[in-house]
Amino acid sequence: MRPRAGAVPLATGILFAAAVYLSPVLFAGSPYVLFLLTQTLCFAIIAIGLNLLLGYTGLVSLGHMGFAGIGAYVTALLMKYGMASFVPALAAGTLAAGIVGILAGMPCLRLRSHFFIIVTLAVGMMLFLFFNNLDWLTGGAAGLPGVPRPRPFDLGFTLVDPRRPVGFYLLAATLFLVVFVFQYALVRSDFGRSLAAIRQDETLAASRGVDVFAHKLTVFALSAAIAGLGGALQVLFLRAAAPQSFGFAEDINLVLIVIVGGAGSLFGPCLGALLFVALPEALRIADVFRMVLFGAALLALALFAPRGLWGLAVAAIGKLRFGKSAAAHVGHS
Amino acid sequence: MTALFEQIVNGTMMGAIYVLVALGLVLVFGVMEVLNFAHGVLFMTGGYLCDVFFARLTGNYPLAVALTMIALAIAGMALERGVFRRLRVNVPMQIVASLGLILMVENGAVLLFGPSALQLTVPTVRSLVRLGDLSFTVQHFVVIAAAAAAIVALYAFLHRTRLGTALRATSQNAEAARVIGIDANRIYRLAFAIAGALAGLGGALIGPLFLIFPQMGDLPLLKGLTAIVLGGMGSIPGAIVGGFAIGIIEAVSTLFITTDYRDLMVFALLIAILLVRPWGLFGVRVRGDI
Repeated sequence: MRPRAGAVPLATGILFAAAVYLSPVLFAGSPYVLFLLTQTLCFAIIAIGLNLLLGYTGLVSLGHMGFAGIGAYVTALLMKYGMASFVPALAAGTLAAGIVGILAGMPCLRLRSHFFIIVTLAVGMMLFLFFNNLDWLTGGAAGLPGVPRPRPFDLGFTLVDPRRPVGFYLLAATLFLVVFVFQYALVRSDFGRSLAAIRQDETLAASRGVDVFAHKLTVFALSAAIAGLGGALQVLFLRAAAPQSFGFAEDINLVLIVIVGGAGSLFGPCLGALLFVALPEALRIADVFRMVLFGAALLALALFAPRGLWGLAVAAIGKLRFGKSAAAHVGHS
Repeated sequence: MTALFEQIVNGTMMGAIYVLVALGLVLVFGVMEVLNFAHGVLFMTGGYLCDVFFARLTGNYPLAVALTMIALAIAGMALERGVFRRLRVNVPMQIVASLGLILMVENGAVLLFGPSALQLTVPTVRSLVRLGDLSFTVQHFVVIAAAAAAIVALYAFLHRTRLGTALRATSQNAEAARVIGIDANRIYRLAFAIAGALAGLGGALIGPLFLIFPQMGDLPLLKGLTAIVLGGMGSIPGAIVGGFAIGIIEAVSTLFITTDYRDLMVFALLIAILLVRPWGLFGVRVRGDI
């Protein structure tokens, strides 16, 4: 029997959530690993945002860190100047990113494939230029230090303090799981199926009554808003906003996370985030030669793993469990 | 007024460079719907190779430029055969492959030539042309003249030769071109060869004016990409007008706003034009496509 495309059995979901929550217990002794894992979760949220657009709708955006930056700076400014507490500030950041997403989506979405990519790149560069140059608001190239962490949450039975590493990890894990469930629900909704139809054949989808532009604009705004949420969380975690965190290099990184991890799969972007947040740490002391090898690995992956690492893993598991014929069916979910 | 004229000359020079990059991108995109985001490293390789051919081998700048173009044409064909022909249908993986290539070539350049920028001193950089109060290096005009010659040669090739006509035919309608017996793979190879040669020419021309360093292709690539969207999908005149327009606008805008926002002008203009004409200045509106 072939598993239903995109279906995550409840058991897998619970296991996944448990693994996410229990990681700090495993790594309690290593603050460094906990730091990396929290970074991974922040990036995974942004990656899930982009995955909705890139993976499920087939629109490659190279400017999504710009939206993450909008969320980050709005939340950081509100928190820093005490204009809002954590939850409203986070909501405002997410909403602002979504609104900028709508504004940017309107001209961008009139273009297709490669040209869409270039225009989103231009949007990302423009947003970066604002972060980098509006000194009076964003602190310019020097960044925006002194962003406070959220206050402790009283859950009745225990107190979660995001000012401590484990507390912030639990906060990030919760938000990550919420976004993950949102992704899961969205992909399986009627709206999500329409997006898949648009990805596969836009003309056909339109002729079957799908309002293509409205769907694209909605998913663009949603994905920008989720990216904004991830960016806001990242800035709160690092206690400072820096324009370079939302520049072109990070845009490239984000796109690699989603595509190399496995665009259009639920877990692919998460795998990618884990890999690409941990890998630069490993490559940080890297000499130039290792970067050449890394480039060669990317090239090989592009040529031989068209659905990314998650696709590769799923195909391998499928081959083991169902024989060769079934492996061919496990695909783009 | 003097300042305006100076910026127009500077802008035309940079625009000429952008046109060389944009033409390669648009030729390849026109025939095989592939965008080579690693096009900038061909440009950069052009700068380094020209340095090798000029400073270490021949000592003759025009000859070094010609050799660079030939070498980059071969490199372009190798890229087409080895990488992009296989990725024609997979847009996301075109990006991953391009990034892999960028990392390999940019870091490879550091390994081969060291981390510091190279200075390529050719005679035309030392001698100046005086125009009233202003003076420009002869190289400024060499760049503009060489780019203009390349554009004319490309037009003659595309419109006066059978192979050029076949390339245009493939760009207009790939299926019909195949029906009349045009070998698509040969055309892809040709387009990549021309794109490589033009990028190499760009790098070899700008190298003496600025420095030669691993990331020297990044900005021309970005501007070249903007130029082809501005000019219109797959339109060669669009790429030319777009490239020159971007060069001149960004140079002239520095008279009015700080250089921090120079790139913003260009991108804002792009988005404004796309709001009015999503198919670009010279593109043809395809029904159902926009």
